[in-house]
Amino acid sequence: MAAASPSASSPARWPLSLWIGMAMLAPLILVAVGGPAVAPYVYDEMNFLARLQPPGPDFWCGTDEFGRDVFSRTLVGTRESLIMGFSATLISLVIGMPLGLIAGYKRGRIEELIMRASDVLLSFPPILLGILVLAVTPPALWKAIVAIGIVYAPQVVRVTRAITLELMQEEFIEAARLRGESARYVLFSEILPNIWPPLAVETSLRIVFAILLGAALSFIGMGAQPPSSDWGLMIAEARPFVEQAPWIALCPGFALAVTVIGINLLGDGLRAVLDPRNTGRH
Amino acid sequence: MFLFTLTRLVYLGVVLVVMSILVFLITQAMPGDVAHLIAGQFASKEVVEAISIKLGLDQPLIVQYGRWAAGILHGDLGRSLTLEQAIAPIVIEALIRSLVLAVSALFIVAVLGIGLGVLAAVRRGKLSDQMVSGISYIGIAVPDFFWAILLILVFGSYLQLLPTGGYAPISDGFLAWAKHLILPVITLVLMMLARVARLTRSSMIDVLQTNYVKYARAKGMPERVVIFRHALKNALLPTITVLAINFGWILGGVVVIETVFSYPGLGRLLLFAIQRHDLPLIQATILLVSTAYCLANLVADLLYAFVNPKIRHSMSNN
Amino acid sequence: MIRRTMARAALSALLLAGATFAAQAAGTFRMSVESNLNTLDPAKMKGGQEYVVAYMVYNGLTIIDHDMVTKPDLAERWEHSGDLKTWTFFLKKGVKFHNGRELEAEDVLATVKRIQDKAIGSTARANFEIVEGMKALDKYTVQFQLKSPYSGFADLFGERQLRILPREAIDTIASKPIGTGPFKFVSFAPGDRVVLTRNPDYFEKGLPKLDDVVIRILPEPAAQVAALTTGELDFVWNLPLESIDKVKATASVKIDSVPTSSWDGIIMNAKVKPFDDKRVRQAIAAALDKAILTQIALFGHGTPSHSPIPPSHPYFNKDLPIGKADPAKAKKLLAEAGLANGFEVTLYTPTGRAARERLALTVRELLKPAGVTVNVQRVPFDVFLKDIEGKAGFYIDGFFSRSTADTSLYPWYHSRGSWNTTLWSYANPKMDEALDRARQAATDAEAKSLYMEAQKLAVEDSPGVVPYVINHVNGMSAKVTGFRSHPMMFVDLRNVSLGQ
Repeated sequence: MAAASPSASSPARWPLSLWIGMAMLAPLILVAVGGPAVAPYVYDEMNFLARLQPPGPDFWCGTDEFGRDVFSRTLVGTRESLIMGFSATLISLVIGMPLGLIAGYKRGRIEELIMRASDVLLSFPPILLGILVLAVTPPALWKAIVAIGIVYAPQVVRVTRAITLELMQEEFIEAARLRGESARYVLFSEILPNIWPPLAVETSLRIVFAILLGAALSFIGMGAQPPSSDWGLMIAEARPFVEQAPWIALCPGFALAVTVIGINLLGDGLRAVLDPRNTGRH
Repeated sequence: MFLFTLTRLVYLGVVLVVMSILVFLITQAMPGDVAHLIAGQFASKEVVEAISIKLGLDQPLIVQYGRWAAGILHGDLGRSLTLEQAIAPIVIEALIRSLVLAVSALFIVAVLGIGLGVLAAVRRGKLSDQMVSGISYIGIAVPDFFWAILLILVFGSYLQLLPTGGYAPISDGFLAWAKHLILPVITLVLMMLARVARLTRSSMIDVLQTNYVKYARAKGMPERVVIFRHALKNALLPTITVLAINFGWILGGVVVIETVFSYPGLGRLLLFAIQRHDLPLIQATILLVSTAYCLANLVADLLYAFVNPKIRHSMSNN
Repeated sequence: MIRRTMARAALSALLLAGATFAAQAAGTFRMSVESNLNTLDPAKMKGGQEYVVAYMVYNGLTIIDHDMVTKPDLAERWEHSGDLKTWTFFLKKGVKFHNGRELEAEDVLATVKRIQDKAIGSTARANFEIVEGMKALDKYTVQFQLKSPYSGFADLFGERQLRILPREAIDTIASKPIGTGPFKFVSFAPGDRVVLTRNPDYFEKGLPKLDDVVIRILPEPAAQVAALTTGELDFVWNLPLESIDKVKATASVKIDSVPTSSWDGIIMNAKVKPFDDKRVRQAIAAALDKAILTQIALFGHGTPSHSPIPPSHPYFNKDLPIGKADPAKAKKLLAEAGLANGFEVTLYTPTGRAARERLALTVRELLKPAGVTVNVQRVPFDVFLKDIEGKAGFYIDGFFSRSTADTSLYPWYHSRGSWNTTLWSYANPKMDEALDRARQAATDAEAKSLYMEAQKLAVEDSPGVVPYVINHVNGMSAKVTGFRSHPMMFVDLRNVSLGQ
């Protein structure tokens, strides 16, 4: 496992899923970077004369109850969803990876403490833990991000620890330790570089979970706040109009699905490239 | 195996205690104030204080926790501050409603998911396999609340076939009761089906490649017997574990589903309690959901250990 | 074996279900309310959905009828002394509580005493601070002594919290409601439903006509509307405004609406900068187009107004213009107040009130041209009560109809009004004088001119903007007969029946 590294396989041999995943994500990332600049209308600008308009040449995805352009809102929402997914995952990694490394490397009482603590967090269903964390303060997007980061950190701890444990059995680590290298050297120069490939696969999954959990939290009103065009929030706000004006809900829902499928495909592809032995493992 | 189960149970107990402390502390830290909420907009300061004292909100945290934990051990979950009723019957009724959703969804997922997984594995690479994979992908990708809205749109508004929300007690008639379950259950099924089908497929593929199956085939056994009697039995074990995990997962996921469908289960009770800042009710609901979640995970662990003796030994040695 | 038992259990459940289905009475009225009931104890009630149940299970001494006139209910009649300080109520004889006991004067005393108890925290308590003493003159007569003259005292007994309770059951009233009303309490499943059944001993002979009432709690507007159009419900109380157009388009369903004096307000707290400057408040008012606010927040199901006195009211001041947006004037006023470059402010609104959220977002949009940057912040209702109301500078609040011009204006606009300090800390001696004098006005014409003056001051000083009064709209199956929407949003089912 440790031998696999990205440079080992050339792009020519990358699996199809990786290509499709990238093809789906590339425009999303462009839109997220471009943000409001690429949207035909200002995402929160109301047009009182064009409320609940069906999709047409002026408004590609119709308008909502305030006369705001649903297409523009969905585009601008891309940034929020991606930021949510990526930064929450980053938080999970920042919290979870060092703890997992320490647990796997030091073993003993520290490991026990870290693992039991993350077990307690894992005893809550993720959305409940999110709600619990968010209920402490008035809702806001960044709080949702932090909450999601915390919720998924224990999973990162587990995975990192498992990988570290496996690596510790490898000869080159054994050798380094016998050479008398410092713990810091072993951790940073030997283990860390080899943790990345399997962790990257895991991370892509995390991002998907983070995006979905974020959308669910926004949907129940505990994430992004109006007039934000976060997709989960947009769908929640569209709920009363779903019969008269289904496009308000369908547009962000479709965008959410494309994003998640794209990242999933990318993750599957990455798994095949970086971690060939684990293909098909869950 | 007995020792293993025992260690896991003790361990579950410890987790639950720590969890109860955590739930208690977090809910105490919530903003807002139930005394204000009860007293309402007109209330003067003295009124709010009088209510606080009546509810025991003015006492030190540790005293409040002690009283609460002791109550739970006696089966007393306390009284809801806003509903002014004993909590236990309310949450138990809600729990039963959520369980009805969860169990029916799990049953359908087990049957359909395993069926599709086997189909995909047997026809690996063929069109039906790819269709199962494709559908699985979409099932995972679309968030549950969006599935719910699509279903409401199609079956409720467009076809006008099914109620789009609410709940009918069984006393309203079996048909009315069952009708209200269909859409939420389908939503939950869609969310889980993909994982179960994919897992069954991959473990089935693994099993089909074992020498054992090859031998059975070589002996000239009919393919159907090979698949259903020999291969499936072995391939199912990891799937069953995942089903148990999924069961816990549904219990968490019901918060969203119940909100969309106005289904009066535990999830909606929790959101209601949070909105009203009804601390005892929040604590009881979260504790109950989390306990059920832990139990489902415990069952999953035990099943897994049962299947895989290597783990059993390594874990009981720990 | 187990399998067989289960199959049998399922079969018997099916049969049982079929039997109950057939036995379900034709006179069961199935209705919905939009949110859960927090309590069945009338003294503690605060939400419209709770009052719905209160008016079916309990009675007051008086009742506010559909034309907002106070009529006898449990009291047969009442009289007051010339100085408006002694009020005597004569109870109807032979009225039975649901537990079979006859209503007595002591029950009225126990009920009012409980309302006055601070620990109960009733929202009606402030109204009864005026009571100096009360006593039962005999079994059917109660007398109240007031600290100061008050012409509206009988109206207070039509208020929502003032339901008369049997004194022996007062401590268990929240779990076992007992009243004198047309329907008896059967069960309450929080978050799900309230079940009531006909009170055969109801004191109005021949009423009610329905056998049972099932009140379902359906917070999802779409679910309510779907249940109504598919015939699963007979009645949706307070139909979500955004779905009225859809309901109208369904043949089997009708709607009934009535203008109310319920209002939402854009509150500007004079204790908080920059709203301490009248010119800033006037600028905000000038930038808002009330027709647009009504259209967006209420989907047009309301009427632009300038105070809680609705345009349908005889005292409404027609001479005051209803705000058309004038961003130039707003900018000028802001410049005079030293805010030529505008300012940034947070507008708070309680979570889960859809119309108020829409109002907040529309205000945000309409204030953009005036150079005011608004950040909308939703807060949970308990946080709203604790940290926002009366403390924040700029927020959306809303209030149910009050029964009289006095109770609609005085608490908010008089400097000593109960709502004034918890809302916007507004004080103008001229306003105080107008409201005080109106309370003791000898003629209707005098009262009218004083209230016209009060409305003029309310607009001029703009302690907050009252953009509109809201219609109360009910949706019901075409077979519902005998129902009339009440401006106080009560559900009066006494004369309602279900045709076929």
